Amino acid sequence: MTFTERMLKIDRRIIFLVIGLCTLLPLLYPVGFPIRISPEVRGVYDHIELLPEGSVFLLSLDFDPASKPELQPQSIALLHHAFRKNLRVVAMTLWVSGTGLADQIVTQVAREMGKENGRDYVFLGWSPGGTAVIINMGQNLYGAFPTDYNGKPTRELPVLHGVNNLRDVNYAVSLGAGNPGVEAWYVFGKDKYKFELGGGCTGVMAPGLYPLLRSGQINGLIGGLRGAAEYEELIGQKGHAIAGMDAQSATHMAIIVLVIMCNLFYLSLRTAARQGQSGA
Amino acid sequence: MIFLRRQLPLLITLIAGLVFAAQYYVPHPASEQMLTSVTKWLQIISGFALVLGVSSLFHVHAAKIRRKEAGWGYSFILYVGMLGTIAVGLWSNGKEAVDGASTAFGWVYNYMMVPLQGTMFAILAFFIASAAYRSFRARSREAAVLLIAAVIVMMGRVPLGEHLIPISGDLSQWILNVLNASVRRAILIGVSLGTVALSIKIIFGIERSYLGGGKE
Amino acid sequence: MPIESIIGGWVATGLTLFIFSFLYKDNPLFKVAENLYVGVSVGYTIVKTFDTVIVHLIWKPIVETGEWSLLIPVAIGTLMLTRYVPKAAWISRYAFAFIVGVGSGLAIPRTISSFILKQIEDTVRPILLLVPGEGVTFTWSLLDPTSSLNTIIILIGVSAVLFYFFFSVEHSGPGKVVARTGILFLMIAFGAAFGYTVMARMSLLIGRLTDLIEFSDPSYGMPTLWLLGLTILTLVVMSRRSSGKQTKEEE
Repeated sequence: MTFTERMLKIDRRIIFLVIGLCTLLPLLYPVGFPIRISPEVRGVYDHIELLPEGSVFLLSLDFDPASKPELQPQSIALLHHAFRKNLRVVAMTLWVSGTGLADQIVTQVAREMGKENGRDYVFLGWSPGGTAVIINMGQNLYGAFPTDYNGKPTRELPVLHGVNNLRDVNYAVSLGAGNPGVEAWYVFGKDKYKFELGGGCTGVMAPGLYPLLRSGQINGLIGGLRGAAEYEELIGQKGHAIAGMDAQSATHMAIIVLVIMCNLFYLSLRTAARQGQSGA
Repeated sequence: MIFLRRQLPLLITLIAGLVFAAQYYVPHPASEQMLTSVTKWLQIISGFALVLGVSSLFHVHAAKIRRKEAGWGYSFILYVGMLGTIAVGLWSNGKEAVDGASTAFGWVYNYMMVPLQGTMFAILAFFIASAAYRSFRARSREAAVLLIAAVIVMMGRVPLGEHLIPISGDLSQWILNVLNASVRRAILIGVSLGTVALSIKIIFGIERSYLGGGKE
Repeated sequence: MPIESIIGGWVATGLTLFIFSFLYKDNPLFKVAENLYVGVSVGYTIVKTFDTVIVHLIWKPIVETGEWSLLIPVAIGTLMLTRYVPKAAWISRYAFAFIVGVGSGLAIPRTISSFILKQIEDTVRPILLLVPGEGVTFTWSLLDPTSSLNTIIILIGVSAVLFYFFFSVEHSGPGKVVARTGILFLMIAFGAAFGYTVMARMSLLIGRLTDLIEFSDPSYGMPTLWLLGLTILTLVVMSRRSSGKQTKEEE
């Protein structure tokens, strides 16, 4: 076997080791390259920045622990921003396995920002049905969630004063890892109930949401860990997303180098085969 | 009997489908109240559907344990995990935290479910790298275009890439906002047309596979 | 550091490393973690569903506020469960007919409005812009997605891709040119999708390794380092045993 053939058939565990090291080393020894802010992320940030104090901000954490590395930093950054602007935060989730995570994130950030449950924010929890929950909230929020996650009747909460349904929400952001997610919030929510909607999503979902962004159906899009890092940069609060960007850079470069190498070996093999054929 | 087994369900689908399609265009309070009530019902019924989905898992693994098939020990671990979590969850009244303090259910969630689910998907990073090395070859012009676009986007979406080649950031923005958006839009329109067509077929009884359950 | 957090750190690290051991090769440690993952996830879903649906959406509204109409969805849901009784399985059709009928009815107008009409509306935007004082202008900026040039590109892209997927008409002559343009656009979009998928997968790995680094702290008792050593040792021993068995079988 020639060197080229051996390289093309290399044990995949060597590639695993390369990726592992490219992820681990930058996490242990960060460099910190500057992060450019994209217009998509700025769209969400600018809208929240312009909301008057006391506006109702609905944050739907529609993800499970599998997407935690990408969407938890987004949630934390958005909540920091919303609490800093003294908005009334209504948090919830449409994904059953993400309920515990969503509760933790909201409680943790609220505690850091000195916010009171029931007065400054509420975590409604999870309800089954996905799109049915969105429609139900659009019709009557208290019908969809008669109690909050801690069992307190939602009608009696000061934070929900004057909020009867989704039409009374000033801005909603869905952080989605799949279905139900941003698209469901638009189709079954904003389309009829006309609230302003922004989106956050995993890297896998992001390219698919650009049509909605371009048509103005969502006014901003925070895509993946990079989007979270940009948002952290905008609010001036370094978190897990910015910390992970160096590792992200290293792994991307590793993949690019691997792809270029494999194509060089492949082309050289193909050229050698053609030369061999023409020689024969 | 045929009416009860086949035609009545199809009639229910037809009436429900037409009523709720028409409801979108009728803003009368009675129509809105009907939507509110029925979507509330759908939430409750979805809960039962989750039970349905889970019970098949029960049966498959219970059978494996009973028959002591190869790997039944792992099915036993699955059962222990499931029943243990249910027991702990019911003991904690379904709450992960009470007044900021984590319950036993919260412990299982934070230290078992989150790492397990997270890691299951994290190992995909290694496989995508290995797959990219082994099969991402420019065998044709189209494959070369795909490759170049992927490299530009991977370069342009990380700070190091933008630092080394600043134009990669602008180029990847253009690819995403214009080229990618146009393709995804076309796919979205096409898929939505298909969804609408399928929904109409279901409502009018042309498509019946969703019924299942029994003969005929 | 509370004792339950320390124990939790060890359990979380152990389970993480068991799953990562699959990268070396499939082994019993991975299978244990895999089956535990399914069991715990399903158990969690059952508890949450019971607490939310049975207690908060059915029991409390009926018993405390007298919403007896909720017995209708309870009846429909119960009908669904007859699917598992072979002789009575046909009764479940009523429940599925209702759910699917309502779902299809709700989806049709909303999908048409959101994903068809709105998307077409944004595609057929004006190419020339009327600017007060300047008259009609054609903007060339590629960086601005709303510029005239990009509007044309988007229009070409959407039309070409839609035409490519229309297989009822033969892609020959001018149709072939349009279809090939569609394929070109598709390849670029798939390349972008691949790039973003790589970004997403790497982010997930970064997240897990961040947690492992956190659990290597002495306050947890450094479970990452100890359990990493233990896992490697276990894999080496298993590997030696299986190669030993193979040599014996060959003999």
